[in-house]
Amino acid sequence: MTSERVASKGLSTGARCPARVIFTGDFSDRYTGSVREFEIEANNLRGVIKKLDERYPGLGERLEKETTVAIDGEIHEVDYSQPVRPGCEIFFIPKIEGG
Amino acid sequence: MPDTMTFTKKELRVVGTRPVRPDGVPKVTGLARFGADYSLPGMLWGRILRSPHAHARIRSIDTSKAQALRGVKAVMTSADLPEQKFEYVGPERVAVNFWHMTRSVMAREKVLFEGHPVAAVAATSKTIAEEALGLIEVDYEVLPHVIDVEDAMKPDAPLLFEDMITRGIEPAPDRPSNISKRIELKIGDVEAGFAAADEIVESSFKTAPVHQGYIEPQACLARFDTDGQAELWASSQGHFVIRALSARLLGMDIGNLRVYPAEIGGGFGGKNVPYVEPVALVLARKSGHPVKIVLSREEVFKGCGPAAGSIMTVKIGIKKDGRIVAAAGVFKFQAGAVPGSPVMNACMCAFSPYDIPNVRSVGYDVVSNRPKTAAYRAPGSPISAYAVESVIDMAAARISMDPLQFRLKNVAKPGTPTVWGPKHAHEGFAETIRALMQHPAYTTPLNKNQGRGVAAGYWFNNGGESSAAVHINEDGTVLVATGSSDLSGTRASLAMMAAETLGVEFDKVRPTVADTASIGYGHLSAGSRTTFATGIAVVEACKKVIGNLCARAAMIWDVNAEDVVWDGGCARYTGKKSGEFEPLSLKAIAVKKSVTGGPIVAEVSVNAGGVAPGFAAELCDVEVDPETGAVKVLRFVTAQDVGRAIHPSYVEGQLQGGAAQGIGWALNEEYIYDEAGRLTNAGFLDYRVPVASDLPRIETVLVEVPNPNHPFGVKGVGEANIVPSLAAVANAVSRAIGQRMTELPMSPPKILKAMNGGR
Repeated sequence: MTSERVASKGLSTGARCPARVIFTGDFSDRYTGSVREFEIEANNLRGVIKKLDERYPGLGERLEKETTVAIDGEIHEVDYSQPVRPGCEIFFIPKIEGG
Repeated sequence: MPDTMTFTKKELRVVGTRPVRPDGVPKVTGLARFGADYSLPGMLWGRILRSPHAHARIRSIDTSKAQALRGVKAVMTSADLPEQKFEYVGPERVAVNFWHMTRSVMAREKVLFEGHPVAAVAATSKTIAEEALGLIEVDYEVLPHVIDVEDAMKPDAPLLFEDMITRGIEPAPDRPSNISKRIELKIGDVEAGFAAADEIVESSFKTAPVHQGYIEPQACLARFDTDGQAELWASSQGHFVIRALSARLLGMDIGNLRVYPAEIGGGFGGKNVPYVEPVALVLARKSGHPVKIVLSREEVFKGCGPAAGSIMTVKIGIKKDGRIVAAAGVFKFQAGAVPGSPVMNACMCAFSPYDIPNVRSVGYDVVSNRPKTAAYRAPGSPISAYAVESVIDMAAARISMDPLQFRLKNVAKPGTPTVWGPKHAHEGFAETIRALMQHPAYTTPLNKNQGRGVAAGYWFNNGGESSAAVHINEDGTVLVATGSSDLSGTRASLAMMAAETLGVEFDKVRPTVADTASIGYGHLSAGSRTTFATGIAVVEACKKVIGNLCARAAMIWDVNAEDVVWDGGCARYTGKKSGEFEPLSLKAIAVKKSVTGGPIVAEVSVNAGGVAPGFAAELCDVEVDPETGAVKVLRFVTAQDVGRAIHPSYVEGQLQGGAAQGIGWALNEEYIYDEAGRLTNAGFLDYRVPVASDLPRIETVLVEVPNPNHPFGVKGVGEANIVPSLAAVANAVSRAIGQRMTELPMSPPKILKAMNGGR
């Protein structure tokens, strides 16, 4: 199911250009019933996580503990204050550790 | 994002120069204090009893005779560590299960590998401690064992954990196995991609587990007060992480443990987790004395994790013009005795250097009766890159295309999707390949029995949590304290960024690594993150100090603070008020610290993002002796996009070190087991790392495509260039002998066998 993408409109509040939020297949299989894509209007990552947590209670904590985030391909730590540009692509990916 | 986190191109005074490292003199004069160099009055020596068996059930442990030996002050077993809940904590890729971790530190129901700690003693001398180990009676029920990954995956393999059900498979298997986890990453339509290909190339590969080969064995000193407060002096890649994990394993509050960072004699990923620290702490708590443990080289090899071994199959489909249209890889990694190989990294990085529309990466994490694997420079990525870059080389040869031109034709660019989801966002890949193509070595003619190999590789790099404090002393000198272990000259790099930002001379800045009670949290010095993330914290702290200095200059001049700027290491008045306002140096302001508000200090903590990945491309020339199969590396060139080299000498050193380790991985290094599952080459005489006489001068090419998200353009340098090294050597050897080498290490017997048609 890793390539399946199911849009959920439930989280958008009608913004003209919400962010596109995407999970890995593994993450969505475990936490969102395999729903991988969402459209979310938010100013920063706090807003994104909050809205996802409202839809899937407990998901916010998982995102904070388990993921790093790529915003338009640029990798950031999950930090509430990270700005979210309108229309950007937000990819939650497994946290990175190195040697 | 703070303004200072954005790169600005400007002439730099300190960054990019090559000053002498501030920690250099103590190291070359033998005065630097590593993990084994700390002692305290009343100190005891700790020693660890290890399993002689690869796999056995522990029926009982009798420590009474050891405890009765004169001079023995404490004996411990796993019963002295609290049981941990069975749960995977944290991100799936690097999830920690403390139920497993406590069993790695000290065996409970079973021993899972030869060298597995079973008990430990603390005594007044090393000799008594050693004698006491011989008095501990362990009753083992020896069990069948399994060492290699393909054997461990067989349905009838001996099980390390009788209830381990593979994660990542739906529906879950109905019987246990040694396969801890299966992962799959995919983009596009892989089958359609292969169907559209003009040529398909496929091959299988095998790599041996290799050790990081750090020179300094694990060592620590622990003391415990009767009020539950403890102190630990240890060599590690992150004293805050060692503090957190050790406290968890002992069941104590983090706040009750203070960890002092010792100098570290190499880590390369192998010192990210505790081995001896929890044992020394328990022995100190039980004995009431400080306890020191220093491992032997044999213990390091047998007990402290190597990098994973693997078996892999990679297949790519190409068009006649050289475009890759499909790729698939299956990567099976040895995790060692408990789950947790870096196979997800391997799956993620494997095809990341390239723009391939249809990709599938499948990974398996497999336990077997070896020590738990540990991270090793870009963990996972060099292994999968060996397979992928070998097949890339075969594909280029299939259509008679120059191997670097082939890679350049398919190179990833900003906007190229990765198999793990996001699109690439940074330049630097193509620039690095072009830099290698333009190197004179690439067109130098070769002679008989010689071959040239090239390869490329990708590593994420990392950011994360770092802290830095900047103190201005009253004589104008500057103290920079961070919580980041210095593995590679990062104190020099951090001091240089501070000197550059403050506008002072480099030798006026004294960088230090502070203990866990003296600075905010700093995550591991791993993932090529320290110069990037801690560098941002240092620059932020300097900016804060500059604001403070400008405010104090305004006080001294009795002007508005907004009319003062910092330029060239001085406060300068820019307002319209008349009078004498000669620039005030940092020293001049520092002298007046008491009357302008007291100490001048700023501490900043960040969770640094905006990481840019590392990309490397390498060339290796070898000559193979057709009679012995011995390989001589004639020339090695390593090119890497480093973003910006803060101290070019130390960046070059990182690249040379990575290449040297990659050459050893490719040609010599492996764990060799006997039929009983015992490691037979646990020492540097028999485990052959390359030494200086084995290597040519490794030539480095620093490609600088700045990271726009770092004030000086830093990307990170410690890992990316070992990624292609294995494949570069393998491709060179394969070309020299006219046979594809599909197993590492490429030892002389294997090469002779390949040259003789498999006989």
